[in-house]
Amino acid sequence: MGRYILRRVLQAVGTLFLVMVVLHLLTTFAIQLNGNPALAFFGEHEPSASQLAAVEKRYGLDDPCYDQVGNPCAGPFVDRLVAYAQGDFGTNLRGRAVTEIVAQSAPHTLRLFVVVTFTWLTIGMVLGSVAARWRGRPADHGIRFTTVLVDALPVFVLLLLYKFVVTVPVHQWARSEFGSESWPALWFRPSFDADHPWATVLIPGILLGVSGSAAFVRLVRASQLESYSGEHVRTARSKGLPERYVVLHHVVRNSSIPVVTAVGLVFTEALAGAVVTEGLMNINGMGGVLWGAVKGSDVSLVLGVVTLLAVVTVVVMIVVDVLYAALDPRIRYE
Amino acid sequence: MTGAAPLLEVTDLAVEFRTPGGVVRAVDGLTYQVEAGRTLAIVGESGSGKSVSSLAVMGLLGPTAHVTRGTARLNGTDLLALPPREHRARCGQDVAMVFQDALAALNPVLTVGFQLTEALRARHRISRGEARQRAVELLDLVKVPHARERVRDYPHQFSGGMRQRVMIACALALDPKVLIADEPTTALDVTVQAQVLRLLAEIQAERQMGLVLITHDLGVVAGVADDVTVMYAGRAVEQAGVLGAFRSPAHPYTRALLQSVPQLGSRTRLPVIPGRPPGPGDRPAGCPFHPRCALAQDVCRADPPPPLVEAAPGRWSACHFAGDVLRGAAVPAETTPEGDPR
Repeated sequence: MGRYILRRVLQAVGTLFLVMVVLHLLTTFAIQLNGNPALAFFGEHEPSASQLAAVEKRYGLDDPCYDQVGNPCAGPFVDRLVAYAQGDFGTNLRGRAVTEIVAQSAPHTLRLFVVVTFTWLTIGMVLGSVAARWRGRPADHGIRFTTVLVDALPVFVLLLLYKFVVTVPVHQWARSEFGSESWPALWFRPSFDADHPWATVLIPGILLGVSGSAAFVRLVRASQLESYSGEHVRTARSKGLPERYVVLHHVVRNSSIPVVTAVGLVFTEALAGAVVTEGLMNINGMGGVLWGAVKGSDVSLVLGVVTLLAVVTVVVMIVVDVLYAALDPRIRYE
Repeated sequence: MTGAAPLLEVTDLAVEFRTPGGVVRAVDGLTYQVEAGRTLAIVGESGSGKSVSSLAVMGLLGPTAHVTRGTARLNGTDLLALPPREHRARCGQDVAMVFQDALAALNPVLTVGFQLTEALRARHRISRGEARQRAVELLDLVKVPHARERVRDYPHQFSGGMRQRVMIACALALDPKVLIADEPTTALDVTVQAQVLRLLAEIQAERQMGLVLITHDLGVVAGVADDVTVMYAGRAVEQAGVLGAFRSPAHPYTRALLQSVPQLGSRTRLPVIPGRPPGPGDRPAGCPFHPRCALAQDVCRADPPPPLVEAAPGRWSACHFAGDVLRGAAVPAETTPEGDPR
């Protein structure tokens, strides 16, 4: 098991390095083709040559390779890796440390992820199990039909509807009924409130989770159906075990292996959904920061945030792989 | 078919499947008995209904299949008439089943120790230590070496033969009175087959269990069975003591099966039964075996075969010409030369 985890971690480090190389090459070529991002610092103002040189130096853009299209700029890349290794992720164009910006926005995004993951895991496992258990019955048809409906409703439409149709009247009513600091009033606030980070992120998170759970419900159902017709389930039944026990220990347990694999995939999907949700619900999270950084040509901030998201994704993948091995003994020994 | 009271008595069992093409009858009027300490072999080709009939007895039929008729009495209680929950509970306790492919039939993600004792733990409050002790005993019983260490292993860490032993141990966990073994050695190579069969026979003799051995291997039947039921197209076509059935079959199908067993040292071409067994959906009129039967007469094509009739003491056959076949006649007495290839 230890060796297995070590191997996965080494693979993850390799993956991370590759992500950083690709990221570096993309930004380098963007700079080489689009022109100097240091100009963005000055906005409309036309800088003098010495001002520009000073800014370029400050942001590490003074290397001549940035003027040579096609040059991979290995030098600045190594410099950046060294800086990252020392915990220095640079500053944004306004001089704030990237680490500080991320430290402020990441908790909001993580909270959203927690709510989202919890929601779709619960919905997916419960509805998927129910559909599989009563396959072909009304419950199954109802659940499958609902997942198609949810799939047909994109998350931004769902959130827009929620924000402009549901929240305003409900929030108004809850405020007059229970007071503006009450839980119901906070839950249905039309926008995020940093003073109440959990309450105001709850319902947008649940909505995002619901929209992600449709595919997951079908996956859980399919994977449990396969287990139900499995020979080992027949063996368990032949032992005279109660059906509840068989479902729990032999169906759900075995079908959780493909389900865990999907967790990794859905997580990355939730990352994309988070950007939309954060934008719509005014959550000051990583998605919003990244969006702003890209729009403002803030190279070091983009690099820092994307690297951090890559780290988070890779860590989730490692957790998934380790869980996978814990659930399936056949993996560990291969 | 001896005088002792049978442990498991299956009478007139019929099982139907719902398929897109309509209802098909996989088992049609199967009757057999197993007595304590005796082994009944159920022999037949694939699709003859031998596995389905035992799944029906165990209450393990899938959602598309159901029992339409018949009883399966265990010590006098009709299992098939019990509510599903009680039926399920009786199985494992009184009747247990060993499946063909132990790799698929054991849960790959649970230790064998867990699987050996789960039925026990679900029924009785026993401690972890007791359960482990019981698992070790069970593995010892089926002669798995180093039982104490191996209870912690997973099925994929066992060899094929050892895995089948674990499967047998699982079935023995609750001391069943009747054991149904569905082709327990088909997935194993020949030497391991012999070991596993010997083990089964030993345990059966020691515990005086009734054993139902489902197989298509006549060598296995000759080696371990006391009685034999030959199935064809969902029906029993012959029932007899194994010696009698092998020496002088009373049904042309049994005779043809025996002739198609390879003989060591024989240099002649191996006789085979022409054609294929009919699928459950397209059984011919009359006797289902008539298109492949060397002895078929007009009556076989027109009339359904008789139910099992006693052609001689202890010798039951479902053939119009059971008596003639039993006496070894190549062609029934009142035959016309038509249709005989020899």
